[in-house]
This record gives sequence, C-alpha cells and structure tokens, in this order.
Amino acid sequence: MSTHSKAAKRFVADAERLAWHDRALYAVREKRDRMMATVPEWEDLRRMASEIKLHTLSRLGDYLCEFERNATANGMQVHWAADAAEMNETVWELIRRHGGRRLVKSKSMLAEECGMTPYLEARGVETVESDLGERIMQLLHMPPSHIVLPAIAVRREEVGALFEREMGTEPGNSDPTYLTHAARRALRPKFLEADVSMTGVNFAVASTGALAVCTNEGNADLGTSFANLHIAIMGIEKVIPDMEALGVFTRLLARSGTGQPVTTYTSLYRRPAPGCEIHVILVDNGRSEWLADEAHRNMLKCLRCGACMNTCPVYRRSGGYSYSYFIPGPLGINLGMLRSPKRYHGNVSACSLCYSCSNVCPAMIDLGEQIYEWRQRLDTLGLADPMKKAAVKGLDFVMGGRRRFYGGIAMGRLAEKLPRAVLENGLNPWSTPGRAMPPFAPRSFNAWWKKEMKR
Amino acid sequence: MNSKEKILKRLAGDGMEPRPRPEMDFVPQRFADREQTFVERLEAGGGCAVRMEAGETLDEVIRRLYPEAKSIASTMDEVTSATINPDRVEDPRQLVDVDLGVVRGSFGVAENGAVWIAQEIRHKALYFGATALMIVIPREAIVDTMHEAVVRPEVDDFGYGCFVSGPSKTADIEQALVFGAHGPMSVTVVLR
Repeated sequence: MSTHSKAAKRFVADAERLAWHDRALYAVREKRDRMMATVPEWEDLRRMASEIKLHTLSRLGDYLCEFERNATANGMQVHWAADAAEMNETVWELIRRHGGRRLVKSKSMLAEECGMTPYLEARGVETVESDLGERIMQLLHMPPSHIVLPAIAVRREEVGALFEREMGTEPGNSDPTYLTHAARRALRPKFLEADVSMTGVNFAVASTGALAVCTNEGNADLGTSFANLHIAIMGIEKVIPDMEALGVFTRLLARSGTGQPVTTYTSLYRRPAPGCEIHVILVDNGRSEWLADEAHRNMLKCLRCGACMNTCPVYRRSGGYSYSYFIPGPLGINLGMLRSPKRYHGNVSACSLCYSCSNVCPAMIDLGEQIYEWRQRLDTLGLADPMKKAAVKGLDFVMGGRRRFYGGIAMGRLAEKLPRAVLENGLNPWSTPGRAMPPFAPRSFNAWWKKEMKR
Repeated sequence: MNSKEKILKRLAGDGMEPRPRPEMDFVPQRFADREQTFVERLEAGGGCAVRMEAGETLDEVIRRLYPEAKSIASTMDEVTSATINPDRVEDPRQLVDVDLGVVRGSFGVAENGAVWIAQEIRHKALYFGATALMIVIPREAIVDTMHEAVVRPEVDDFGYGCFVSGPSKTADIEQALVFGAHGPMSVTVVLR
C-alpha cells in the first residue's frame, strides 16, 4: 500500500469532515467554471499563458538578468540563491544587518519549501504569518493543507477553540465573521511593530523590474506599509517578460484558483519608498535541473493557483496531509517527484488518471499525463512496488495463454463462492472496508458472443 | 563561481530549444456598456460604486455614504471635510484605523471591477489601514480588460501601485466570505 493510501486512512475515517472537504473544494471548482464561462476567449488565454511561460523558460537566464538590471535601476537590490540554505542565509543576513527581530510575512510556498520560518525562529526572529489561513495553521503548529486555502481542512469550531485559547475570544463562538475580525484585531500590533516585512512574488516583470503580489486580504500590502525593509522571495520561474504577459496571467490566476475575476489586490512594487529598501531573492533550489528534464519541465509553468487541487477527486477525498510532499494534489505529486523520487514516490498512486487537473490548469500543464509518466519510470528508478510487480508478472503469465486465461476465470468464479470473510480481508488488495467485491458477470463476453453468433 | 553564475550556467545547459514569444492572435472580450459592467463586477466583489450626480460635491457624497465617519484622511483639495492630511503625518502607523480615506484612482477595469491606484500620497498605509476607502476615478476612464489596463501610461511610471477590486476579504474559515480581513471593511468607487 502506498504512503498516500496509508496516510489517507486517518482523513477518511472522519466521514463528515471528508464529505465537507469534498463539497467545499468542488464548490470552488464550480465557481471557477462559472468565471471561465464569462470569458469567451478562455481557451485562447490558457494557450497564450502556456506559450508565454514556455518562451520565458526557454530564455530564463536572459529574462532573469533583464529583471535584475531593471529592478536594480529602480532601486531594488537583487540576490541570487542556488538552494534553500542559501536563501535562508540571505534572508537572515538581511534581517541581522537591519537589526530586525520581528518579521511579518504574507503567504509564500517558497518559504515553506525552504523551511525558512523554523530557521529564522531558531535565530530569535519572531515570524508572523499574516494571511488568516496561514496564521490559523501557524497557531495550530501544522503546515497548510492547500496552497491557496491553507486551512481548508480545519473546521470553524476548531478555529473557535484555537482563538479562544490564543486571543481570548468568547467560548463556543465559532462564527467566521466574529473570528476573522478577532484575528484582525490581534494581528494589528504584529503589523505595526514588525521591523521587517516579507512577501512572496506572483510575477516578476522583466521589462519593468516590477514585482506583482496578489492577495485578497491586503495582508502583503499592509505588511510592507510600516517596516522599512521589504524582502521578497521568488522561485526563478516566476519571472515573466513584460506587462502584456502580466495582463494575460492576471486574467487567469484568480478565476482559476478561487473563482474570482481577479484577486482583491494586485499590487505592483517597482521602486522602494523613500527611506525604504526592497530586496528580491531569486531562488533556484532545483528548478534549473528540473528545466533540463524534458518530460517534466512543464511543471515550471505553474502559477500556483491551486485549481488542480480543487478539481482532483483524490485530493478532495483524502486531504492535503495524505501526501508526503508539502504541496499536495496533482501539483505536489509532480513537484515531489522532481524533488526526490526516492522520498516522494508514495504519492504517484494518488491519481485516478482522470486528467481533470490538466483540463483546468490555466497554464495547460499536463499534470495528469506527467503523473502517468512518473509511474512508468518507477521501475527504472528501482521504486516499483514489489507486490504490484509480482501481480503484473502473474497476470502476464495467466493472460498469455488461452487455457490459462479461461482457467483463471473459472477459478475466479469458484473463488466468488467462498465466504465473504475469506474474500474481504486485508490479504485481498482489491477489498476495501465498506465496499463489497463486485460479482462476476453470469457469462463471459466470449461465451455470449459465441452463442449469439450461432443464432 | 558565485550563485548567479552557477544558476545561469545550469540554465544555459538545460537543453531547451528557444521558443518564440507568442503573438496575441485573438480579440479579447469587449463590453457593450463598460461602466455598467464595471459597476456590476465591483459590487459582486463586495465593493460599492457611486455615480456622482450633476452638481454634487465629494463632501456631499462622503456625508451621504459615511455619515458616521469622524476621522477622514485625504490629500484631495475638494475634500474639505478631511480631518487629516495624510501627507503631513510622519509615522504611517497613525493612519491605521482612520474611519475613511479618500484617494484618487486612475481608471477602472470593466471585466473585474478593479481600479488602478498609482501611489501619489506619502504613505500607502492609508490604502490598507483605513476602515473605509473611497476611490475617486473619472467616469469615462474605464477599460474593458486587463490587457488594456496593464499597458496604460499610468501603469508605466509609478513607485508602488495596486489594482483594488473591493474591500479586503477572506474565506479562510470554512470558505465563509468575510469582509475586512486586514484592510478596509468597505470600498466605494466614486465615478465622477
């Protein structure tokens, strides 16, 4: 059994939570569909987004240098980090030099990827997540379970209990409006007292040296409004050629991710305010190697909208924590395999190959097809499941000969007559609690065909 | 070799064939009534749109919509009801939780109800710290889509700028929509 199936057992055991999770995410998927229907040129936009990304990736070094040149001319300072360790060190060095102790940050999957928060906390920097969902997860001491909806697996009663403990809200009050406004009040001083702010980057525009940051809460912009040091961290694939490209991507991002026509705030940082500094860290951490893998370089087109998770039937019914990589769903399965097949191959079976992810992806990434390709590679990588291999070999033998094949069917019909306890137990990998084994058809197709032909 | 050189060297060896920059080969949607679409979509996102009546002043609009507002921050000359000139404030923290900020926006985008604000006040904290934000844009300055928006001259020269499409919001607790996450609880766009 895969690591995903094993981990999913816990999530699946809570049937009510599972049903809610499934419905809530599918509702987001449906909102996305309604948004798509308002844009007649939707498929043209997706194709354009995909082609712009591929073009940019094919000249990534040039665009990064162009971005660096223009951002520097605008008064920003650009740093390059080859890996997670170098990014963390660069962030720490900037904070240390600044004399910073309190960092307020908006959501960044790159920070998660690099383990930045624990690294900074160990050095005495208080690091406060300002996105409400991320803040909930931080206070729960748990990682996000979705890249756009970090607290999607947490129920309102749990948030109520958490806030009662952390912020002294009324016992038993789990009204989302009440709790959100309590968090607003509790986070105000964190914003005002922070001496360093950090944001992720949705798009870095090479031609103008501007950073685009998209949020609904306005937390990124409030965060950068007080502290005079703003550190922006980005994976190198986030650079786009120009403003025309930004027009294409901003039309797709929120419609795909949350079913909104655009995020509430799409901010462009171009020049630091007087007396302030903006430092941009361009982080590789494996990306340049992934680009060399022709079968999987498409992953670098990703806008991190989360649409592939919302639509995935396996993700919706197994939750983010069933995946061993920190990003779940079709995106995480693929990124995990790029990171380390040895550590994360337990996720590739968490896919029914329905390819819905490929159909909703705004950058037309062939996510499902790539998962299929990874499965084909497992044996070469020495990671194929020995049980499955043995089963396939056995089936190959049985199906390889006429007599063996029909003999096998006859055996199956006999086996069906065995008591249920013998069939539906842990030894039969096709047996699942709550699901009866399907009965054999009364007659094989072959037998039916022969009989009908005689008529 | 420093990290930049290392990364660039790895990228140069990625074996990827150069791919051309695609041309925009389709015509983006246009709206029969841009102003109407803008208003509808802004309101769908929780914002509020107000068309100024002939002869009406901004002060009257403010009184009509925000009669309770005591602290009003604005640098606009016509807002005589302003109690704070935000550009005279040294510490941006003082602009947090003012009742109302009144600011100029450049233009609106019909397809998503967003307004482009290029920062022209001293502290951008007002845009995000005010409890309510009123953005004034010229009525005729509405474009169809983001394709046109991002290549406007106002989006070419600025230090900080933002497309704002409504009040700050979140649905992070059980997907229930709540306005006023960290930024303004309400946003009104005045078309004049």
